[in-house]
This record gives sequence, structure tokens and C-alpha cells, in this order.
Amino acid sequence: MTKDQTVPAEAETLLHDDDNIDNMYLTFAIGKETYGVPIAVVTEIVGMQRIMTVPDVPRYIKGVINLRGKVIPLMDVRLRFNLEERAYDDRTVIIVLELSGSPVGLIVDRVSEVLEIADDHIDSARGMGGGEGQGLVEGLGRVGENVAIILNSAMLVSDVELSMPEAVSA
Amino acid sequence: MSAEVETVADKQATAGALLRVSSQKISRLMDLVGELSLSVTETVNSPDLDHTGDRTQFEAAAHRLNMIVREVQDAATELRLVPVDEVFKRLKRMIREMERQTGKRISLEVIGADTAIDKMVADRLYDPLLHVLRNSADHGLEQTDERIAAGKPEKGVITLSAAQVGSEVQIVVGDDGRGLNRDKILNIARKRGLYGPDEEPENSKLWKVIFEPGFSTAEKVSNLSGRGVGMDVLNTTMRDLRGRIAVDSTEGVGTQVSLHIPVSLAFLDCILLRQGTHLFAVPVEDIFEIVKPGPESCMSISAGSRAEMLRLRESHVPVCRLETFYGDSLPDLVPLSDTVVIVLKAGSRLIAVPVDEVLDRQQVVMKPLSGVLAQVRASWGCALLGTGEVALVLDAERLAAGEN
Repeated sequence: MTKDQTVPAEAETLLHDDDNIDNMYLTFAIGKETYGVPIAVVTEIVGMQRIMTVPDVPRYIKGVINLRGKVIPLMDVRLRFNLEERAYDDRTVIIVLELSGSPVGLIVDRVSEVLEIADDHIDSARGMGGGEGQGLVEGLGRVGENVAIILNSAMLVSDVELSMPEAVSA
Repeated sequence: MSAEVETVADKQATAGALLRVSSQKISRLMDLVGELSLSVTETVNSPDLDHTGDRTQFEAAAHRLNMIVREVQDAATELRLVPVDEVFKRLKRMIREMERQTGKRISLEVIGADTAIDKMVADRLYDPLLHVLRNSADHGLEQTDERIAAGKPEKGVITLSAAQVGSEVQIVVGDDGRGLNRDKILNIARKRGLYGPDEEPENSKLWKVIFEPGFSTAEKVSNLSGRGVGMDVLNTTMRDLRGRIAVDSTEGVGTQVSLHIPVSLAFLDCILLRQGTHLFAVPVEDIFEIVKPGPESCMSISAGSRAEMLRLRESHVPVCRLETFYGDSLPDLVPLSDTVVIVLKAGSRLIAVPVDEVLDRQQVVMKPLSGVLAQVRASWGCALLGTGEVALVLDAERLAAGEN
């Protein structure tokens, strides 16, 4: 598994298959857990680069990078999930998403693969964590023996403080 | 009424607007980009890079590359420049309307209509300028009989002029009307608590109160103006465009309102600063002075929740610590005398901002703060530096007004 640009290239070819793109997810690892975001919001995957710190942002926004002239804020997904911080290594990557017109980069432990998960293989996460309103987890996608936790990417960047459902972080 | 319709159309237009650019400008850019790629090849393949030692050829190539990049930058900026006449022409059409509504006779004189300005700036100038024009027509110019009594020509003259001064465009709306009435304005300013009953502010300071939201001396609200709302539009737009407003008036002779606006929003002449791990940029025109304070010019006021003041010759300037303002975990503050202090102009006030280091002066490219960065306070946007680094461009006025 390489962490370079192969994934977006793959995503590109898949883009032609308009019918299926809704069911495609890019999966990545945080610790032992596998998470997924809809491929439609992913613009590219880049290696770790020099981060410039910015004041006045939540703790989980580590700073910004300059990606070919675009300023992209980086969110450390571990910190966003209230997990302990982990030193970046050579498998740490940045997944750049475009969410409602603004870019954001997710710092994840490593990127896995692009999976197709049909809607009927995704169990709704509603009611998980017991919180009112919408949570960060959209659902649980069953892929063979494994489970990918599908994230609600819009919630990732919302200001709402998370109370991570115990069931997921455990 | 028609103006309001136009405004809505305006806003839609700026979003995905098309721009007329002369093919000449595009050709120049294309030529430069061609040269750019040649120059990159020359630099990257410089024979000097094979061995250490002599680097003169490489340095010459790198220098040439630098020059070309700067020219490309200029050519690209120019693509977006349009003559300010685009805005002036639309304003001219409104004069007839104003004549009809005020019953005054007005002639509009336009000077410097070919002054170049960023299209994005031009598109946003119409509303504020229209507002200033309306004020001149409505409050500035006298009724015809009043003008005749004062020995002035029957027809009032409004001058709309533009000129480039340094990296700024100055747009002046002048009238030959009655001028601002000091007593009346001071009276209202005092009533609204802007000045104490015994304060006698200088004219240039006093005139600024007419830009306060809701400030109107008009006895009656007319169709044209006097609601005190238009000034809000003016203030907001000028803030967004990083512009300044100045007023000059002589009683009985007339009033001039001048707007100073940067020619281009794309590039910004900045001083770069480092404070802790953060990089900041401050527009050069916002800087009043850079000082290295000695212990004798630093003063702290324990009674004022650790407020600090910087003594600058005869006056005291409040100190605004960036680390405190942005609420970074409060470390022990470095004594003021160990920092370099940038004194910034925040409107009519000054604030002193201590930093660890002043780095460089650079032309930077500005990017707006979007998404999760939109919450960053007191900043115009992100500056992309020549080194590829990113700095936060500080807005002195909002920094000074900050709640911390």
C-alpha cells in the first residue's frame, strides 16, 4: 500500500461511473479502527508536509499547509475524536476534502483503500451515543468480515463539540 | 428604487462575473509564461549544479527567473485592472435622477476616469460612491435660491475624481455646496456621547463622526438620503476593500469626501512578523512605527487587568499582545523591553503589538479565510509568502477593538 497519489487517480477513473460514485468510500485508519468518507468529497491525498500554525482555531486544527497556492487547514482526526495525539510518521497522510466549497485536510494514521459499500450494507448509526441531533458517525458499513465507520464529513468541520459515542471509540 | 434592483444584480454578477480583457494583455502574459518555462529549465539544468564550487551561472539564472516571475505577477494583476470609468458612467446616469428628486440643478464633472483599478474593487465601489454622491446632492448642495443668495452659480457642481497615488487609488467626491456645519454636527455628536460637552475636537476628527452608523443631521428624511443607513454600506465596503475615508470641508465653500483604496486586492505589500510559532503579516500602510522599547518606555497597569502601555514620545499607546488576544495558553509574557513593538494605525488610534521578530518586507498574495478558518478573528486573510509559508494578515482595527 503506497500512500501517494494512486488513490485519486483511481477515484478519477471511477468518477466516470456516475451511478456508483455515491457508494464509493475512501477508507483510512485511526489506530485500529477503519473509517470511511464518501469519495465524492475527496479531492486528493498528499503526504505529510510542513504545517504552519494558526492562532484562534480549535485544538484539533493543527494549522495550514500551502498546497500549490491553496491554503488548506488541517484537522488532526485523532484530536477531533478526543483521542490521544500520536507522532506523525511516514505513513501519516493528509486526505484533502472539499466540503461546502471550502477545503479541509484530514490528518490520518494511514490511508487504506477505496471501497464500494452498497446502501443496504450500511447500518444506520442513528441513536448511537445517545446525543440529540446529528452525530459524527453516519453509519457502519459492512465489508466482508470488517466494518468501516462511515463519517458524516459535514459534521467533522462543524463547530459542535463532540461527545464521541463510547461504543465507537472503545 | 431602480438602484436597489441594480444592487442585487451587482452581487450576483461579482460571483461568477465575466471580465473583458484585451488580447494584448493576454498575449503578454502568454509570452511571459513561455519565457518562464525556459528560465526554469535553464535554472534547473544549470551546469553549476553538478559540482560544488562556482555558482555564478546558477545565480544569474535564478535571478533571471526571479525577474520573470515578478513580471508574470504584474501581468496577471493587470488582467483584472479596469478603468474606474466603468463605475463613473453608471453614477453619471444617477445624477439626472437626483436632480429630479431634489429639485436642484447639478452638473457632474469627472476627472481621471481612466485610472485603473481592480475589477473586484470596481464592482464594489458603485454602492458606496452612489451613497456619497446622494449625500452631496441632498445635503451638500444648497437649493437654487440659497445658492443665488450666496452669490454662487445657480447650478451646483459635484466633482468625481480619481487618481492613483502610490499603490492606492484616491476617489474624491467634492461639491461646491454649503459645507459641513460644525455646530450642528458637534451638537449631535455630543448628544450621542461621542464627545464630552467641553471637548472641541479638530475638524478633521469631528467630520469622521458623519460615518458613524445612524448618524444623520438631516432634519427630514428624504427619498435620497438622511436615513443614516447608507453610511453603513460605505463603512462595510471600505473595510472589506481595506480602504480609508477622509472628509474635508469648508463652510460655505463645499465638502470633499475622499476614499483611499488599494489598487489591487490580489497583492499586498506587507511586513512579516513572527510571534511564537505563528507568522503574521501587516499591510505596510497600517504601520505607524517599529520600535525597540527600552525598559523606561514600558509601563504596566496592574489595576487594569495587567494592561500594558508603551510610551511613545509624548503619548501612551495601549499594548495588544497577540498571544493574549488569540487566547493561546497564557505563558509568562516576555517583558515588553525584550520584544520588538509594531505600532499600528487602527483608525484614528494607535495600538502597540509586541512580536518576537520582524522578518521581512514582501509582496504577498492574499487568500480569504474560509471553512474552519473563517472563525479566526482580526484577520483579513491568509498571505502566501514567497517561501511557500502562510502568514495571517492582521486587521489592526479589529485587533484594537478586540474584546480581550
